[in-house]
Amino acid sequence: MIEFHLDGHSKVATYMQLVQQVRQSLRLGLIDPGDQLPRVREVAEALAINPNTVLKAYRQLELEGLVSARPGVGTFVTRSLAGPSLANQAALRHDLIGWLSQARAAGLDQEDIVALVETTLRATFQEGIAEA
Amino acid sequence: MSTVLETTGLGKRYGGTWALRDCTLRLPAGRVAALVGPNGAGKTTLLHLAVGLLRPDAGTVQVLGRTPAADSGLLTRIGFVAQDSPLYPDFTVPDLLKMGQKLNQRWDSEFASARLERLRIPFDRKVGKLSGGQRAQVALALALAKRPEFLLLDEPVASLDPLARREFLQALMGGVADDGTTVLLSSHLVADLERVCDYLIVLQESRVQVLGSVDDLLAEHQVLIGPRRAAAQASPAGVASVIRESHTDKQSTLLVRTNGPILDPAWTTRDLSLEDLVLAYLADPSAGVLPGPSPLGMDLTS
Amino acid sequence: MIWMTWRQHRQQVLFVLIGMVAVSALILPTGLRMHDVFTDSGLADCLRRTGDAEFVTVGPGSNDCAELANQFLARFGNLQPLAVLFAVLPLLVGLFLGAPLVAREVELGTHRLVWTQGVSRLRWAMIKFGLIGTGCLAIATAYTLLLSWWIRPLNGANGSRFTVLIFDQQGIVPIGYTLFAVALGIFAGTVSGKVMPAMATTLVGFLAVRLLVAGVARPHFQAQRERKFPVTSQVEPNQLNGDWIIHVGIYNSSGVQVAANQQRSCRPESPSPSPSATPAGPTPEGCEEGLYNLQIYQPGSRFWLFQTIETGIFVALAAVLVILAVYRVRRRIS
Repeated sequence: MIEFHLDGHSKVATYMQLVQQVRQSLRLGLIDPGDQLPRVREVAEALAINPNTVLKAYRQLELEGLVSARPGVGTFVTRSLAGPSLANQAALRHDLIGWLSQARAAGLDQEDIVALVETTLRATFQEGIAEA
Repeated sequence: MSTVLETTGLGKRYGGTWALRDCTLRLPAGRVAALVGPNGAGKTTLLHLAVGLLRPDAGTVQVLGRTPAADSGLLTRIGFVAQDSPLYPDFTVPDLLKMGQKLNQRWDSEFASARLERLRIPFDRKVGKLSGGQRAQVALALALAKRPEFLLLDEPVASLDPLARREFLQALMGGVADDGTTVLLSSHLVADLERVCDYLIVLQESRVQVLGSVDDLLAEHQVLIGPRRAAAQASPAGVASVIRESHTDKQSTLLVRTNGPILDPAWTTRDLSLEDLVLAYLADPSAGVLPGPSPLGMDLTS
Repeated sequence: MIWMTWRQHRQQVLFVLIGMVAVSALILPTGLRMHDVFTDSGLADCLRRTGDAEFVTVGPGSNDCAELANQFLARFGNLQPLAVLFAVLPLLVGLFLGAPLVAREVELGTHRLVWTQGVSRLRWAMIKFGLIGTGCLAIATAYTLLLSWWIRPLNGANGSRFTVLIFDQQGIVPIGYTLFAVALGIFAGTVSGKVMPAMATTLVGFLAVRLLVAGVARPHFQAQRERKFPVTSQVEPNQLNGDWIIHVGIYNSSGVQVAANQQRSCRPESPSPSPSATPAGPTPEGCEEGLYNLQIYQPGSRFWLFQTIETGIFVALAAVLVILAVYRVRRRIS
């Protein structure tokens, strides 16, 4: 069983913090398929958060196919995240390093790059949602 | 989705002044709603109307489809914790639990005593001798022991220290999780409620100013930072209305309500917290967000 | 609700019981002694002999009863201030049981706790007011029975049960006063919502209504009667027959009052005036033919009628106040 923590200063939505913690635990192999996630009431009580927020996080994980809810019993891990993404990450990281060298060659310093990445990231993801 | 609380043109007058007027709102079942507003905005009046302690002078109020003041049968289905958690000071916790049992058809004494035991509330002491935080916990346990479908709390954490406040909210969230109880709690502080509430009602000057799901409201509102903008200049595409703006000679900062994505690269966007949002509206009584004929916003998460 | 009422008021019940014991400790010994002396001194027999005769013959031995009565009062008259103390008891019940009943709930805010449980406010008020009212009725009845017994010798010696503060301590009126005091307290509590102002209102209201009824209304519950008798006569009115003498005066043959608040009795054989004054006035000019004494009075036989009327007034006032209090609980307090 894992225990959730919230970062009070994080701008990330509460339910997303829960989702990220489950994903992280899955990546790190702290929990495996078959393990149970803490009950909604327990999480809500321990963190003093709205039970609907916990439900929302669990639904999101369910949509991602990582967990499944058994009514009246609890929510259980169905899939591990260790493995394939690691390989993908290596390739992407290689590409990113190449792009960063290009950016520096074009005269951008570190903060310029962060600003550019942030705006592009937001625009790209919002477009994606708007289309969906 | 069923509605737990519905008011139409609801008003209450004390002498010549309206404590609440033209209040029209719907609270869907299963929500934890924050009723926010400055002192004197009508929060307590609205809660008292909803539990039948007051009768309306205008409009109607319906709770679980029934009229509160005229229908005492409704009292068994709702829980209410009044401001400052009033309890009989010379009663002990077992006395209060027995009182609940005698006065209610539906009463889960074990549920309440188990909760209070876990919190290490002394049972042999008169509640007048307990700390403010402990009294608030006792009052909450009494309300939860009714296993209510709808729980209303009037400023439950206002007088508590930060630790007691957190413990109270923990108990509240744990207490309503199992039954999916709908909660309406009033507060003049928003920061504490940001993670607790998923629905927001802002009352100001006796009227409803903002109403809606917290997710929708946060998704709809953004802070835009960009180059100095002339007052007459049109807002960037995607902005429905500007709630607040401030300018320096080079830069403009806008708090806006959006009706689409802001794609203009001249503007940097920032999400804002529930507290920022509430404060922005409270600072400008003329602004307001009420659900129109079409559903509010879009759900960015699905 | 019954358990709730008991739990909230058990302390007051304890105080009331202690109070009753204290009052009994005061009443029983003094009462027993008064009853003994009343019988042993022959006053009881004497009063039984003269009965409620309207006039008694003037002459040696005719004033035996008055003599004995005076002796009795000389001995026990100093107990009469106790009656004043007892007159306050209904007020105390109103102040300490009635006034806090709703006011304390509102002051503590607990009305919002108890009125949002599964019991309607109407039911809450009916049971609470009903139980407290019944309790007060029981207290008042016990106390009235005790006091009526205690005061009986003083009735005899005073000659009338109508005397102010004597009439009020016996029969059934204390029950009316108690119910009125409690109802007034409850109602005042629903208006002020605070215990202290409710108690103050109860105090002032109770005293005002009591004084008004006792001083202004009571002498006129029934048409007053007149009794005339010559200043010079073989007989004089029986002072101990229980009549309530409201006014006395001396009038001449043409009906003009020559002296107020006085009575005069001249023996026919001795022309020198011997005033039996109530109270003693300046020495009158004489016992001329045609002068007569006038008494305006309520007959002693009307005692129970007056008791019933006065109790009725206070019970009716109590009922109105309770109805208003229930209305305020249901509609006006939040």
